[in-house]
Amino acid sequence: MKILVVEDEEKTARFLQKGLREAGYVTDVARDGDEAIHLAGEIAFDLLVLDVMLPKADGWQVVSTLRRDAIETPILLLTAKDAVSDRVKGFDLGADDYLVKPFAFSELLARVRSLLKRAPVRQQEVLRVADLEMDLARHKAMRGGQRIDLTAKEFVLLALLARRAGEVLSRTMIAEAVWDMNFDSDTNVVDVNVRRLRGKVDDPYAHKLIKTVRGVGYVLDAEE
Amino acid sequence: MRKSRWSLAFRLTLWYTAASLLLLLAATGTLYWALVANLERSSSLFLADKVHVVTTLLLERPNDWDGLREEIELESAARRYDQFYIRLLDENSKTLLETSRMSALLPAERFTGLPGRVGRAESTSGALYLATEVSAPVGGRKTNWKIQIAVSLAEQQEVLRRYRRWVWAILLVSTIVCPLVGYQIARRGIRPVQYVAETAKRIGSSTLSERIQADGYPVELADLALTFNAMLDRLEESFERLTRFSADLAHELRTPVNNIRGEMEVALARDRTVEEYREVLHSNLEEAVRLSELIGSLLFLARTENPGTHIKREITAVGELLHAIAEYYEAAAEQAGVTLAVMAEADLSVNADRSLLQRAIGNLVSNALGHTASGGRVELSASAAQSGLEICVRDNGCGIPAESIPRLFDRFYRVDAARSQSGGFGLGLSIVRGIMLLHGGSVQVFSEEGKGTRVVLGMTRM
Repeated sequence: MKILVVEDEEKTARFLQKGLREAGYVTDVARDGDEAIHLAGEIAFDLLVLDVMLPKADGWQVVSTLRRDAIETPILLLTAKDAVSDRVKGFDLGADDYLVKPFAFSELLARVRSLLKRAPVRQQEVLRVADLEMDLARHKAMRGGQRIDLTAKEFVLLALLARRAGEVLSRTMIAEAVWDMNFDSDTNVVDVNVRRLRGKVDDPYAHKLIKTVRGVGYVLDAEE
Repeated sequence: MRKSRWSLAFRLTLWYTAASLLLLLAATGTLYWALVANLERSSSLFLADKVHVVTTLLLERPNDWDGLREEIELESAARRYDQFYIRLLDENSKTLLETSRMSALLPAERFTGLPGRVGRAESTSGALYLATEVSAPVGGRKTNWKIQIAVSLAEQQEVLRRYRRWVWAILLVSTIVCPLVGYQIARRGIRPVQYVAETAKRIGSSTLSERIQADGYPVELADLALTFNAMLDRLEESFERLTRFSADLAHELRTPVNNIRGEMEVALARDRTVEEYREVLHSNLEEAVRLSELIGSLLFLARTENPGTHIKREITAVGELLHAIAEYYEAAAEQAGVTLAVMAEADLSVNADRSLLQRAIGNLVSNALGHTASGGRVELSASAAQSGLEICVRDNGCGIPAESIPRLFDRFYRVDAARSQSGGFGLGLSIVRGIMLLHGGSVQVFSEEGKGTRVVLGMTRM
């Protein structure tokens, strides 16, 4: 998978390239809009991560030029302005997703993954992580063969973590996916709920599955 | 275009002058006309008087020639001003008696056309006379004699001439004086306006507390000054708010940035274990996340204050929304030992941006939970109200001091700074108000210290 990061701010470009490379993607960097248009026309990238504020040609121009030239590479826009009109403009021009700066890198990674596998993933009936087993159809969670008694929301939360095992999920993402609360304040409510879930899923067992990633969020991981 | 740039003083002067001159012209004109009429009337009366005297003499004492002579020849000759002449003619138009020099100045034929009426006659020297010719019966004889009388208008004309000279002189002086006086009056009249303008010019960001002294101004200008002062009050208040906001913002940024910087410097001062580096990075990440949240909240607030911001309205069932929010906070409430209850009237809905409304109510619930001790109760309710719909978040927690309530919606304002140190930025209620503004709704806080707080969101009902 090849990703082109278009970003003129040096530090941002560096951490994006480093982070994406370590996540397993081949990553190139373009410093301005013209270079981005040129590179995207030469090389078949799987994804563009595009800053809007760029020298020479700005992000909007890059998107419209590429789409006009029938280059259909998915584009993830990075904007500094959290204005609805900007979002709408981006989608109108042909961008596929957007993130507002400052963003969490884990969030960026999640968006990149979902853009790269746009084709719908087959919905699994049963999820397995280490000795945790979840039967989504029958709403049953088992650990080491023992049934775990969960409330409806706890089940949804555990299923979310299990489906994206190994991926760090931010509190905001969790609140949005489980409770449909899309605002990023008061995320300690998520902590309380995760703590309760742990009480049922992890506390009775030696092998802890749900891990806290400080300053980022939570991950369900089979590793010790 | 040019006309509109004439100064106010100039325009006032122009109008004042025009009005004064017009009035003066009308007044002097009327007076002149009255004077002419009066003079003419007095001459006519004099004439009639003389005719009456001579007629009576002829009728009653026709043979008193001495009396007639005195009346006709002597009396008129003795006059210096308002000279008059009388001639007596018999039935054959032969002159019987006449005032001396009359035949030279006003021969009998100058009276033709005047029998029985009063008119003007011109003497041989060109002077004007008011004259008449009357036919009068003579006592004792069956015949009529003619009396010709003329009174000089020279004196009258001299009076009118002098009057006209005065009028022209007055008009000339007025044309010069009126503009000067008018300009002075106009200048004096608009001086307060100039003062207001000068004060306004002087007021800058550092002298916003200065005000225009409205004492002793005429009503209209006092009004202007008061309006102006009210505007300055509002400006000063917003400016103060802005200054306070900048100071607060700097303060909020100082702590996390200082932590990041300090921890990094200390960490880099010497070699450390991987664990220690990891600890520093984690700690810094937490600070950075906090900063991001602050920026996010501020951007959100800026957006709510931009009148051009669009919101994605949809029909939202209020009861359902409240239950969803309560479900989200359920675990946190339980942990705090607080009962969380929802009491919503059925079938209430609003046309609102669901996620924004959720955020507003969420902020209120979070505040309520944070200020209610274990064993307390937080209640979410929705009811139809006169004005539309009310969503209410009520707690029986510690309450808010009355003096803090007006400042609750200010950015970064915290009722109890020390207590909330670990929590948010003091932006929660500002955000709630911003969201309600976007929806054209209202937010009110009712609180009693020690008893609890009730926050009411007012919205238009669907």
